[in-house]
Amino acid sequence: MASKADRPELIIKGKRLDGRAFNELRPIKIEAGVLKNAAGSARLEWGDNRVLAAVFGPIECQPKHTSDPAKAVIKCKYSMAPFSSIGEHGRTGPNRRAIEISKVTKEAFENVVFLNEYPGSEIDIFIEVLQSDGGTRCAGITAAAVAMANAGIHMKDVMYAVSAGKVGNEMLLDFNMIEDNYSDSDMPMAISPKDNSVLLLQMDGNNSKEELKKGMEMVLEAGKKISKIQRDALLEVYRKAEANAEKGV
Amino acid sequence: MKTIVMPGDVIEQTAERIENTYSENGKLYSKIIGLYDSEKGSLVSLEGIWSPRVGDNVVGIIKSARNAVYEVDLSFFLRSILVGSKYDRHIHKPGDVIEATIKDVEDRKTVVLTAERVLHGGTVLNVKPTKVPRIIGKANTMVKQISDMTRCNIIVGKNGIVWIKGGNVALATAAIRQIEDEAHTSGLTERIKKMLEDGGGSMPEPVQEADKYGNAETPDNDMRRNGPHGSYNKDRNAEVKGYTAASDNTDIEIEK
Repeated sequence: MASKADRPELIIKGKRLDGRAFNELRPIKIEAGVLKNAAGSARLEWGDNRVLAAVFGPIECQPKHTSDPAKAVIKCKYSMAPFSSIGEHGRTGPNRRAIEISKVTKEAFENVVFLNEYPGSEIDIFIEVLQSDGGTRCAGITAAAVAMANAGIHMKDVMYAVSAGKVGNEMLLDFNMIEDNYSDSDMPMAISPKDNSVLLLQMDGNNSKEELKKGMEMVLEAGKKISKIQRDALLEVYRKAEANAEKGV
Repeated sequence: MKTIVMPGDVIEQTAERIENTYSENGKLYSKIIGLYDSEKGSLVSLEGIWSPRVGDNVVGIIKSARNAVYEVDLSFFLRSILVGSKYDRHIHKPGDVIEATIKDVEDRKTVVLTAERVLHGGTVLNVKPTKVPRIIGKANTMVKQISDMTRCNIIVGKNGIVWIKGGNVALATAAIRQIEDEAHTSGLTERIKKMLEDGGGSMPEPVQEADKYGNAETPDNDMRRNGPHGSYNKDRNAEVKGYTAASDNTDIEIEK
């Protein structure tokens, strides 16, 4: 994390460095069902982020002692490819940060999946960051939610995640890498769009009550767009097959 | 009217509980990606795993044999076992493909199989378990159509393992893959029929079969023994007759 002293100007004439408004998302593109061998998968492009998510299961829990006879166990592995970034992030292997993100992702999904329907099994979530430009944990959760729905695992909702944070006195939505590095606070959130319940809330730095409220409003507003993109991606799998079918006739 | 719903979509405010849904705060939500039929009030899953029910016909592979208890791989997360008879131990070996019926699901932990039948030779294919009803079709029409037109012996397990033997395996596999992809569309039976007719040129001639088994009168001895479509046929003898009639390449009749 860079210090605030050498912070560049992040807001110039009411616009951000990449020309976005304060509450504007980066362009998002999702494609579901891209991996043949996985039960469910999704490829996500979020600005300059490239994320691949794959879901396996429910399968027999291995090793046996990690299984729970009453419910399924979710195992999540977030990892960044060695070529994903120029900075420290790009190191491969499980580091402190990757373990933390895997844990919070797993816990977010434990809230929505009907675990008791698959006793003694495990559900594997793999999130692979191919290229990173800030906000990869949110991108990872958003992609993993699509992959989970694509795998047909029974769950309450298709969640999305996006971050909001503070630069100077302004609340901004969806940080990119440079904003993330020099921001005063960063707050990734995962939301279940059905009733806007919060499934993940982390906060680096300090936000006042008003700032948190404002950030949350931004997240919920942006979430409608993200949810729509997720739904379209999931529907596209069947639309494609339908189009092929019509061509065949 | 059929619509595709997503997890978290509200189904109907007043309806009673239907499969693949959950209720919260007096509303009914979908758990899955599925096709919701508002007239029938049913939600059919498009993706996901199979859930074992007593009486389901499955195809599995013997994993291990200990005394007369066989562990069977159904590509499912629960353990499944087959208890052999007291008198004929070690009749199955690891690697044998069997067709069996589910006798019981004990404590949601163990699937117990019964009435097994060894499937000799052939090819095993994994399909999505949610597409199995469509592969079988209404009253076996789809699987019978594929079986007749490719002259394959096909057995479809509810757990998503399909066993194919004899005939044009490649064409049958392609047909099953197409059903898997287009299971949610209408008019599928017709398209599969057309697809099979288009690919029908590569059907093996009856003479080749005779060479293979050295017997021109009974083209497939295994088929005689096993029955052409396994346990999905209520009247096995009638099916065998039907098969022989259909083996005449020029005159294929398909029941609907």
